[in-house]
Amino acid sequence: MIASLICSFFGTICFSVLFNVPKKFYIGCGITGSMGWLCYYLLLAVTSSTVATFAGTLLVVLMARILAVWLKCPITIFLVPGIFPLLPGTSVYYTAYHLVTENLSEAAHNGLEALKLAFAIVIAIVFVFSVPRELFQFSYWRKRRLKKQRIED
Amino acid sequence: MEEIEIVDINIEEEQNMNRVLHLAVDMGETLLKNGGEIFRVEETIEHVCKSFGVNNFDSFILSNGIFVTADENGEQIFAQIKHVPLSATHLGIVTEVNNLSREISAGQVGLSEAFGRMDEIKQMPPKRDYFRTLSAGLGGACFCFLLGGNVWESIITLMIDILLYIIVIFSERHSLSRMIRNIIGGAFITVLAISAGYLGLPFDIARDKIIIGSIMPLIPGMAFVNAIRDIANSDFISGTVRIIDALLVFVYIAIGVGCMLSMYNYILGGLLK
Repeated sequence: MIASLICSFFGTICFSVLFNVPKKFYIGCGITGSMGWLCYYLLLAVTSSTVATFAGTLLVVLMARILAVWLKCPITIFLVPGIFPLLPGTSVYYTAYHLVTENLSEAAHNGLEALKLAFAIVIAIVFVFSVPRELFQFSYWRKRRLKKQRIED
Repeated sequence: MEEIEIVDINIEEEQNMNRVLHLAVDMGETLLKNGGEIFRVEETIEHVCKSFGVNNFDSFILSNGIFVTADENGEQIFAQIKHVPLSATHLGIVTEVNNLSREISAGQVGLSEAFGRMDEIKQMPPKRDYFRTLSAGLGGACFCFLLGGNVWESIITLMIDILLYIIVIFSERHSLSRMIRNIIGGAFITVLAISAGYLGLPFDIARDKIIIGSIMPLIPGMAFVNAIRDIANSDFISGTVRIIDALLVFVYIAIGVGCMLSMYNYILGGLLK
């Protein structure tokens, strides 16, 4: 498991190089990717792969938003490489493979699986992005606490 | 005398507004070209215009075009349409333009300085070719291991992906179409993965694990994520265009891989496993 954690960390960094992400964000990208993978990996033992992908993507998008607000940069930087380990590459490959070998029921099964995983990712992304932007800003929470204190006073 | 002076000031003001709008369109175009989302482009144009005092403007952004008009006292002073073709992603440039727009909003950067900064930002080179090639290889190998491959399969994936990315960079240089690039890429990977099984290596390797790991650098993650985010922001036209782009790339890769697999199957008469 530790080996696969390290692999997801470096794999994500390698893909962020392909998108020309600036050097100072590499570590953030790596952490986002490996945390998402860890969540997926741990949940895979208890639930279906769709739920695991959903939860993993949820964590990736959440971390990407927090990091983007914290480091003041576009969220795309962390989001795109971070999601790569969760993309359903395996299902897409097996769909093509079973189509070629004329094993149509298996192909349909894998194709639907890929579609399900893709929708899990879509819903997770939309879900986190519907949270208002202020909640991710530190000043919002400080202001809220101050307001609460004032009311209590 | 007095009247002439007023006209002079108006012309100067108009020229100034023109320059502001040119800057805004330029920043928007740079963002869109390098992988920014639609709402980021909209927001940047709005921030730049407002902070330099241009308030009556309208912008309409598509995934490959920018339309901006502005008027002053009911008189149209500016209209521009920019066609933005699809091109390679450079998130470093997106970050820099974003920082520039943040500084302009805070009032730290003047108009002519902003133009200078934009020229500098547009000159930012992508990462060096050998570095990108190596990281594509290493990334593919890491994902091969993640998706259940063993160490030997990962090492073979590393070599295949390095060769694959040399082809990708070649096709970028000669601006081959995405369709050709992805079909050839998928076919190339499959041929190499199949032939790796015949090298007589002293350990067992699974062909499918190698292929799955190797296609990772071709997968259009950027287009996919941006498409979802555009649709989530109700930019349906751009979102649809981008998601079709992403789906087509998946299909092209599948065509490349599928063709080679079925040819192999045909030649060896159903020995495909």
